[in-house]
Amino acid sequence: MIINGETIAFAVFAIMAIVGGVGVAALRNLFHAALSLLVALFGVAGLFVLLAAPFLAMVQILVYMGAIAILIIFVIMLTQRVAGMREQYNRQWILSGLVALVVFGVLLMVISQLGTPENAMWNPSAVAATLPDDAGVAALGADLVDANRYVLPFEVAGLLMTVALIGAIAVARED
Amino acid sequence: MELPTLQDLNLAVTLPSMGLALWACVVLAVGLFLPERRRHWNLVLSLGGIVALFLYNLTLFDLPADRQSAFLGMYRADNFTAFVNLIALVTAFFGVLMAYEYLKRTHIDRGEYYPLLLISTSGAMLMGASGDLAVLFVALELLSIPLYIMSGLRRPNAASEESALKYFLLGAFSSAFLVYGVALVYGAAGSTDLSEIFHRVNAGLILDQGLLLAGAGLMLVGLGFKVAAVPFHMWTPDVYQGAPTAVTGYMSVGAKLGGFAGLLRVFIVALPAVSGAGDATGWQDTIALIAALTMILGNVVAIAQRDVKRMLGYSSIAHAGYILMGAAAAGSPDVRDFAVSASLFYLLAYAFTNLGAFAVTVAIEKDDATNPQLDDFNGLSKTRPVLALAMALFMLSLTGIPPTAGVVGKFFLFQAAVNAGMVWLALIGVITSVVSAFYYLRIVVNMYLREGPGEAQAQRSFLGVAVGLAAVGTFVLGVAPVLFLDLAQRAVLVALGG
Amino acid sequence: MEPAPLNISAYVVLSAILFAMGALGVLIRRNAILVFMSVELMLNAANLALIAFARFYNQMDGQILVFFVMTVAAAEVAVGLALIVVIFRTRRSINIDELSRLKD
Repeated sequence: MIINGETIAFAVFAIMAIVGGVGVAALRNLFHAALSLLVALFGVAGLFVLLAAPFLAMVQILVYMGAIAILIIFVIMLTQRVAGMREQYNRQWILSGLVALVVFGVLLMVISQLGTPENAMWNPSAVAATLPDDAGVAALGADLVDANRYVLPFEVAGLLMTVALIGAIAVARED
Repeated sequence: MELPTLQDLNLAVTLPSMGLALWACVVLAVGLFLPERRRHWNLVLSLGGIVALFLYNLTLFDLPADRQSAFLGMYRADNFTAFVNLIALVTAFFGVLMAYEYLKRTHIDRGEYYPLLLISTSGAMLMGASGDLAVLFVALELLSIPLYIMSGLRRPNAASEESALKYFLLGAFSSAFLVYGVALVYGAAGSTDLSEIFHRVNAGLILDQGLLLAGAGLMLVGLGFKVAAVPFHMWTPDVYQGAPTAVTGYMSVGAKLGGFAGLLRVFIVALPAVSGAGDATGWQDTIALIAALTMILGNVVAIAQRDVKRMLGYSSIAHAGYILMGAAAAGSPDVRDFAVSASLFYLLAYAFTNLGAFAVTVAIEKDDATNPQLDDFNGLSKTRPVLALAMALFMLSLTGIPPTAGVVGKFFLFQAAVNAGMVWLALIGVITSVVSAFYYLRIVVNMYLREGPGEAQAQRSFLGVAVGLAAVGTFVLGVAPVLFLDLAQRAVLVALGG
Repeated sequence: MEPAPLNISAYVVLSAILFAMGALGVLIRRNAILVFMSVELMLNAANLALIAFARFYNQMDGQILVFFVMTVAAAEVAVGLALIVVIFRTRRSINIDELSRLKD
């Protein structure tokens, strides 16, 4: 493996993502777990940049870290007296760990298969060094509203936001 | 960039699902201005929209080939979609009808119920129509998120809220599996378009077979949660028990319909060429195994239940198993068409029967927030003979005894399994059906042979209409299945380029 | 000229690790908020895989899917957190309810 800027950046962001992920899955303090979710999300955002998706990296930071994670922290603050800041694992944690391990094992097995000669994913040269002309934010935006492409799921996603709005009000409204 | 014309978009064929969602917004807006005593307009508008779209949907069978896709392949308007729409609209109709008085007497008559139900229905329809994994995913959420909210409508009832939270957390968990599955399938095939995936798999142009299989497996897990297949069924009894009964009734059919429509669509249109033993596709054995486990567990555990909603929850798991048997049979190319139509016919039969059973359950439910128990049926044949007769018909249909819809549906499913060379699976189906007679017929015994108060809600009501219509549907499908079988038979899924 | 990109499979392996950790979190946690956070981690893992594959194929489709996943996550968080808050409210007030009901 060649040590260059990208490898170092990958290593840093990957470690952030993994450390954050471990924190979410294992930290006993609710608030600390939420903070480590933020770290993991930031790591993933960094990886998005490396994968030539800077727009989604920004969305990740704005929507996931700025809105979702902060909302989660708010709810923790709202409910901590009942939930308690500390939390126990449930009783079948050994079984749960096994299930997660099996899922991971299968995925790893499958992904390591990608290294066979006829598969190109291990081979950096198979990945185009330059992006196509139609990449970038403009293309993403055009695809979303282009009737040839993703306008239907885009509309449905809008509908989904409406439902979430109605739902959150219907659920949380005091009457 | 060349802009497509309105004709290319073919918007008219998407009207059943998209129009329903749009109509839901109208119902929501009108509902805001309705004073207390005019609340019935919610019901009238919802039912009106459903009936109009139902009639319109009848014109969408057998469209010419050039009108069979909309949004250039994102939306498939074939007979499968039209039939799924048909079942979904029937389900929504009953969901609205049996909820109206129930919502009032349980003091949860919030205007949001109707639009949420309609939007959820449009999500189920869209799942069956999706021509792209992106559509499938957002449609699944459109189906699910309203259901989470509706399950929790009976706040501040702790059971209802807990049911909503449990459904939400497990639903989100299963969505994550589905998304990861979509990601892997995309990674393997380089496309999310179902026909495109089919072509690439068929031509051997995929990146890696293992990646495709892992992705398909994870998608199966995600959809398995939705249809309550073993071992992804854990949430079902708790959610069914805690949710408001009318919502449970709608959910028991609506969520299953959406899940199965999506499952059949993806596995038969996009992934039929995943290689397996002999002629059959690679996923056939897995789905057959899940079907067997689901039938066995659902039916056996249902025997021990005293709570009617919990029992119907396990019963719905069992029925997911029967439909999965059809899905598994569809893995054999020469049986595929028959198996798909058998599954669809069974879904329609199950819709009438199960919605009827839930309507009766709504009728016997007391107002004191306790769940109806099996003993609450005692003596119902004396106090409410017609209601008891209808319930007996539904129980016979769920068991699979003539002259009902259930027996015809099961017959086709067993035949599909046998034709696909899975005699063992059909045998398990027959045996578990016999086992199921034990708990279904216990209700009949309670109604006719036991003494008891057997109370039920007022007779002349929308609920009564719902029970009556469901009974008619169950009976007609049982004695004259040809009427719908023809439609179901035409609703085959063909894996071809759009 | 951009530098030669890293192995795409490194990103996919990382996403599998994140996905498994999220699944583990969902299974071993008892607190609803923590379960939900673990689900978010799983969705992020899927997003990472999607973007990695999109880079590999040099397409936008994967990125667009990520856009939808994020939208759905936002919708889920709104509804889910509302449910969590309302359950908190009821549980704290449930006892008060029972007391007042017993009195009349």
